[in-house]
Amino acid sequence: MTPTSTRRGRSGRRKKVAVRSGARPLSPWTVAGIIVLLLFAGGVGFGVYRAQQPSASGAPAGGTDTGIVVGQADAPVTVDIYLDFQCPACQAYEQRAGSTIEQLVASGRAKVVYHPVAYLNRFSSTRYSTRSSQAAACAADAGVFPQYLTALYANQPPENSAGLPDDQLVALGRQVGAGGDFPTCVADTRYAGWTAAVTDAASKAGINATPTVMVDGTAIDTTSEALLAAVQAAGR
Amino acid sequence: MTTISRRHHLWPLLPLACRLTLGVVWIVAGAAKVTALDESVRAVRAYRLLPDLAAQIVGAGLPVVEILLGVLLLLGAGVRVSAVLSALLMLAFVIGIGSAWVRGLRIDCGCFGSGGELAAGEQPTYGRELVRDLALLAAAVVVALSPPGPLTLDRFLMTQKMTRKENS
Repeated sequence: MTPTSTRRGRSGRRKKVAVRSGARPLSPWTVAGIIVLLLFAGGVGFGVYRAQQPSASGAPAGGTDTGIVVGQADAPVTVDIYLDFQCPACQAYEQRAGSTIEQLVASGRAKVVYHPVAYLNRFSSTRYSTRSSQAAACAADAGVFPQYLTALYANQPPENSAGLPDDQLVALGRQVGAGGDFPTCVADTRYAGWTAAVTDAASKAGINATPTVMVDGTAIDTTSEALLAAVQAAGR
Repeated sequence: MTTISRRHHLWPLLPLACRLTLGVVWIVAGAAKVTALDESVRAVRAYRLLPDLAAQIVGAGLPVVEILLGVLLLLGAGVRVSAVLSALLMLAFVIGIGSAWVRGLRIDCGCFGSGGELAAGEQPTYGRELVRDLALLAAAVVVALSPPGPLTLDRFLMTQKMTRKENS
């Protein structure tokens, strides 16, 4: 055995032992480098998120920055309904309580603020929650929001489908009498910023489920009986 | 150290399995959220723990951080630091989910996307989420305490360095 090969053999053993024992250089540079890298990655995410926020667009006719108002402005009681047109439970609530809501609004005992949030985009391949909410704002501009809401629920696409295409959203509007530039409004996604603002406001208000129904700011059960009782109690 | 390296000797594949599992979970979780940052922000808000700007930073920043951590772990680059940071993040998740449970919130953890909303009739699954995150926390601790395992960039670079030193 030559001296060279002996040295190599010994160093090979030393290398193995060092690796095994976990003695490895944990330099402060590695730590700092990885932390800086991660902070940078987080910053990129935050930057992209801020850049994605659509610029604020105006509210539709009869609407506010956070919803669409149906009923007399001076009604004594306010009912807030947070809904997603992709949400089966919202459709079911409309079927259960729709006529009660209509009576309360017609008699002037309550006004309803609908908040069409885009919470359930993951249940369609085409961001149907967002598109339907935008179209509903266009329907409010055309003065047919309540009818359009009924039409959207009646034609609710199943979860995990492609949702209704835009031309069908337009056709449903036409069926309930939306004229003027309703098709353009839908096609141009005129209320993209509004839908984003409505969704963000609901999230900030702590709304984590659709439908959420509130009477004068207090959440109630999603039954027509609970709605009637709460409006009666609040209106006294 | 001795105990750990002995355990490492007995279970040579345990740290490797932990590292790869953790890396894959990070990438899957990050990828599920990175395409819908607004949902991720809503999910963080749903915990009602952070002021809104902080919720926006965490919600939008976390998905990208998760993907990067996953890549580092799978490559085996900076394994120990990545594992320690993974463990700290998992600990934060466990605290967040636990506190949501204790406060009686009814939310989805938002771990793999979703804006924190439960679907109609869906019950919170805090127990399952906690067990999963505690298991991942344990995996991160195993990786952090183990010597650089096989198939890591760290070990490759270290071996290179030693060879260079000896040759010079």
